Amino acid sequence: MKTQPTDIDIAIDWLVRLQRSTVSPADWLAFDAWLLASEHHAQTYDAALALDLQLASYEPETIQATPLPSRPLNMSIGPKTWRWPVMGAALASLLIAAGLIWQSQVQVPPEAAYATAIGAHKTVILSDGSRIDLNTASRLTVDFDRSRRQVRMKDAEAYFDVAKDPRRPFVIEAGHSQIQVVGTAFDVKNRDGQLVVSVERGIVDVQPLPSTAAKHYRLRPGQALSYDQSTGLINDSLAQSGEASSWRTGRLIYRDQPLSVVVADLNRQFDRPIRLGDAQTGKVRLSGVLIVDTQTAMVKRLSALLPLKSSDKGDRIVLTMR
Amino acid sequence: MKSKSLMETYAEKRDNLVRTFAARLRSISEAEDLIQDLFFKIERFDQQEVGENPSALLFQMANHLMLDRLRSQKRAGIRDAVWLQGHAPSPQGQTLATEPSAETALAARQQLSALIQHVDELPPKVAQAFRLHKLEDRSQAETAEVMGISQSTVEKHISAALKRLIRARN
Repeated sequence: MKTQPTDIDIAIDWLVRLQRSTVSPADWLAFDAWLLASEHHAQTYDAALALDLQLASYEPETIQATPLPSRPLNMSIGPKTWRWPVMGAALASLLIAAGLIWQSQVQVPPEAAYATAIGAHKTVILSDGSRIDLNTASRLTVDFDRSRRQVRMKDAEAYFDVAKDPRRPFVIEAGHSQIQVVGTAFDVKNRDGQLVVSVERGIVDVQPLPSTAAKHYRLRPGQALSYDQSTGLINDSLAQSGEASSWRTGRLIYRDQPLSVVVADLNRQFDRPIRLGDAQTGKVRLSGVLIVDTQTAMVKRLSALLPLKSSDKGDRIVLTMR
Repeated sequence: MKSKSLMETYAEKRDNLVRTFAARLRSISEAEDLIQDLFFKIERFDQQEVGENPSALLFQMANHLMLDRLRSQKRAGIRDAVWLQGHAPSPQGQTLATEPSAETALAARQQLSALIQHVDELPPKVAQAFRLHKLEDRSQAETAEVMGISQSTVEKHISAALKRLIRARN
């Protein structure tokens, strides 16, 4: 007897269809519409894709015979710090391969640190299915246990898409502030003593001050809160949807921000520093969108948007008022 | 009012494009790379007329990039398998789970061979199509040719096999 196809059956049919030698734009549009029709569709498709990727790793010979190493590998975080003892060539190449994916999608063991270099982005998929997109020059640590999912970030900006798990709250410690969520998507920027939390989806509780009795701020989609750690000023303003996390698509969006903030952001993108000629220059305000590409092009565009001139001093670029 | 720009559509469709191209590239990281390349391409394109359907245009641009890439693709399956291992249930809180170890990689392989055993429970034609396409890396068209059957029959066999395996895995 034929039963109604379940979502996973439909997801598998899609997967197989997308693996044809030619896929038409009409196929893509229909697939996209199906994904958007329900959150469950995307989840089941991802499960089907995960199965297929697991199958793609199948290697009939060599690996089955690989012996276990005599002791556990001693690896700390990040590809640069990986170490391994001498072992079979097949296993070593496997680990090198594992190191390569660190740049994009990675499993997270409990207590792990992630960092990006200047100008780099990184996506980390956590064991609970949550996803963190790390912006340039950022560092954070992740520590999961049975009762809690904990992330610590100091000088960092990241976009979080947190999987729902009511039994394990997701808590972010940014400086002295705490941000707590159940399942939601939001951006956290903690730079130069300034914390900004912008919520895209779901509900986020922010407790800017360290004391347990301190006030909580509950943010809903479209809301943002900024907290200045030196002045203690808290400002909850309306965020433009997607603006805070625009860096994920290679853009920086500013609304009436001082040049000092813009320059600090640029200096997280490129190795060669940009300096302000004087304090006055840093106070010029910018509203606009900057596309992140080359430093030269960005400085040129900035000088066109604002009354600035730039001079190239070799190891640095200096901005002054025109 | 102008219709949506390519960049806006990109931001909206990014995740689903990754999903789509990961199927064919059989690698999330390759698909992420591809969609990153797409971003640089549309950055130059953004100001121009994009027509009625920016979403279809984005797909076509990405598809071209992918065809270029497929010519030079090396198999990235192992990388993804190691990543995916993190999504499988693992022993809670024990030392084994604290590091992405060689044991984890080995466990992934053992789990995979156990899974593939289930293929033997399938009708022979289904199992053969599955092996050729999924394990021996032949395209659907090549599989059809080898077996002397139509591509749509190959698709049906592959679907049936995957449906069996995903239930075996859960």
